[in-house]
Amino acid sequence: MSRRGEEGDELWAAVADPTRRRLLDALLAHGEATATTLAGELPVTRQAVAKHLAVLDRAGLVEGRRRGREVRYAVRPERLDAATQGMARVAAQWDERLAAIKRLAEASARE
Amino acid sequence: MVPDRIEREIVIDAPLEVVWAVVTAPEHVGSWFSDSAEIDLRPGGKATLTWNEHGSFPLRIEKVDPPHSVAYRWARPAGAEPRAGNSTLVEFILSEEGEGTRLRVVESGFAALEAAEEEKAKHFQENTQGWERELGELREYVSNLVSPSSRR
Repeated sequence: MSRRGEEGDELWAAVADPTRRRLLDALLAHGEATATTLAGELPVTRQAVAKHLAVLDRAGLVEGRRRGREVRYAVRPERLDAATQGMARVAAQWDERLAAIKRLAEASARE
Repeated sequence: MVPDRIEREIVIDAPLEVVWAVVTAPEHVGSWFSDSAEIDLRPGGKATLTWNEHGSFPLRIEKVDPPHSVAYRWARPAGAEPRAGNSTLVEFILSEEGEGTRLRVVESGFAALEAAEEEKAKHFQENTQGWERELGELREYVSNLVSPSSRR
């Protein structure tokens, strides 16, 4: 049983924030959207949207494409899958630990 | 969409006190969790989990209510002391379930990790801008000292 991988932390942290999760949901619904469009749908400022998009971009969860004067963002589904799988892995590690606790406790209760 | 915290549970065919001992006693924790463990089980107490492969991780006990719950902060990377922004909160909750025990574990606080990163970035930027301003003033001051005659 090991410590979870450090490389997963950034990805995890990026999707753990509720506003960023709503941004990802909105982006998935649109396919592509600008920071201005997203700010119009969420109760946050355009600056806050831009900041969250930057975090998602660093974690590789979204990518921006310049179209003329605006940048359109889209979700990178393969990275979102990796994030989901990363969490599933952490959950599975806890399941293993809980199972080990169960074995130890039940063995000790039988003694 | 993915969850922002991990919550798992299991039902164990053993009394609450036995499960509590397995969850909190160093000799048990060094078996089901890490390769060895040192634990000062009181609020604010320190604990160290050591993995032969990954090194030692200091924990800080946040809350202890024997034999019902214990919570600690778990930092990353190896060797880092837990503080806000580099750690997640792990909480074990035990409750009676018939003759056995229901054990629940919740790991949370991943969003706070990132928020701290942003704070740091912001702080860094503010510091950088502050230094640029001060260096600008210094440069002006020094150039006045060196060549006062060149100033009109």
